[in-house]
Amino acid sequence: MSEEAKKNFAGALTARPNSDEPKPAPVPAVPPKKVIIKSADMIPDMQKEAVDIAVAAFEKYNVEKDVAEQIKKEFDKRHGPTWHCIVGRNFGSYVTHETNHFVYFYLDQKAVLLFKSG
Amino acid sequence: MEGAQEELERRSKFLKSLIQKKKTIEQQEQHDHLQHNNVRVRACDMPLPLQNRAFRCARDLLDSMPSKKLDSKRLALTLKKEFDTSYGPAWHCIVGTSFGSYVTHSFGGFVYFSIDKVYVLLFKTAVEPLDHS
Repeated sequence: MSEEAKKNFAGALTARPNSDEPKPAPVPAVPPKKVIIKSADMIPDMQKEAVDIAVAAFEKYNVEKDVAEQIKKEFDKRHGPTWHCIVGRNFGSYVTHETNHFVYFYLDQKAVLLFKSG
Repeated sequence: MEGAQEELERRSKFLKSLIQKKKTIEQQEQHDHLQHNNVRVRACDMPLPLQNRAFRCARDLLDSMPSKKLDSKRLALTLKKEFDTSYGPAWHCIVGTSFGSYVTHSFGGFVYFSIDKVYVLLFKTAVEPLDHS
């Protein structure tokens, strides 16, 4: 009797691992981010570049400061210093920028301010 | 000669202690001032007088706003104009409750502080003369 009980228990244990195997679920496609250019004093090609770099930065980083850093450094590299970038959900700003070097846009709920000065 | 040396050392120590006392008093006064105005400095590269100017300007404007709702743009504009006028162009100001930033600033021209529940970033960049070519 006790021997039967042991065997049943062992059997139950061996059965459990099978039921725990996870089934592979299909990965849903990431919907493209909504882009709204709020204000710009910048040639269209550069605007598009800013948006593309921002999209890539948001995919790579979670912290707003890191996103801003990535965008600023990329523009310093491509278009010469000195650029400044602010990223966030809630902020107002007043800045002085060089002619043709300012863009303010939204990527979904996040605003991005990018401008050159100095 | 030995007497003169001792006298010099004594005076030097006295002066050093005076300087240290003055610094301590100044730091305490600044701390009290900030607490009183509900200001907290998060990051800074700016002379004290300019810092205090920014804090006072922000405090005055926030107190003058009738509604409790923050007018970020107006505060940013006010601070930028005040600093452009008083300390020369070009200053930039960001005000809000939720943002991150990465900027390059002139030496001694940067302060990031919170006042009440709003964050303020104020910084200066060098201005190059206009190219008339």
